[in-house]
Amino acid sequence: MTREAFIARLRQGLAGLPEATRTEIVADYESHFTDGLAAGRNEADIAAALGDPDRLARELRAEAGLKRWEAERNPESAAAAVFAVLGLGAVDVLVLLPILIGVVIVLLVFFFLALGGFVGGAVIFAASPFSPHVGNPWAGLLFGLGLMALSVANVSIQTLVAIGLVNALVWYGRLHYRLLKPAIDPQPPVQRELAAS
Amino acid sequence: MPESIDIQLKKGALDLCVLALLSRGDSYAYEIASRLADAIGMGEGTIYPLMRRMQGEGLVETYLVESSAGPPRKYYRLTASGRASLVAQKEAWRGFAGAVHAILGEESSHDS
Repeated sequence: MTREAFIARLRQGLAGLPEATRTEIVADYESHFTDGLAAGRNEADIAAALGDPDRLARELRAEAGLKRWEAERNPESAAAAVFAVLGLGAVDVLVLLPILIGVVIVLLVFFFLALGGFVGGAVIFAASPFSPHVGNPWAGLLFGLGLMALSVANVSIQTLVAIGLVNALVWYGRLHYRLLKPAIDPQPPVQRELAAS
Repeated sequence: MPESIDIQLKKGALDLCVLALLSRGDSYAYEIASRLADAIGMGEGTIYPLMRRMQGEGLVETYLVESSAGPPRKYYRLTASGRASLVAQKEAWRGFAGAVHAILGEESSHDS
């Protein structure tokens, strides 16, 4: 592969990253070619040593998405992290996808159950003192309040589960790095092993 | 996904090697990459994400040096926290390597 082809594919693959980051990454690899040529190697050699530019770009983009999730925990960055992992295009992502869709549907169902429970609880809470059908107005008040509390608890547990799921997915995605793997591991393994011993 | 012990060892030593190289003098990515590629067989492309991460963690910083031919070159130097990290990692590495060495030595003396 020529230098031009490598850089073009890398640049194309990095679409979607902030322009400044993209320019910086491309400049790094451009200067790698310049230095390599100055050292007497040819373009095809240098490109081969760098690896597949499409793969490299996918992993760099995925890492940017995962970093964003680690920096700010919100639904938007969670979605970015999920798409980043799917974008890696690993074969077993196809296995993962149906499971992921199933989990999202279950979470949504529970969310709407909770929403319904909360609204229902609020209605019972507000209406029971005035309703002739409820024998003891205090029972109605407490039941409504209880239903609302249960729904809130349900949503918070779901949020924790969802955060845990995205974290697991991030971990799973990082297992699929091939080119970036040695460079991205955030903890120095030397220290980790010593701490574990 | 099991990795060969070779890759795991290299991964663990990579940060430390980069810090150690830079402690002997500021350098640019190509030089670091080619030295590590020769010495421990690291993939050349790996150096750029690694340097970006280390820069993000505040272990190294960059400055540009005008070059006679071509665009200015980006040099890396250690920060104070990079130096501190080098000292800590070096000590950890020596302790660990020493312990492994002692165990290996013990085993080979049993063999003979």
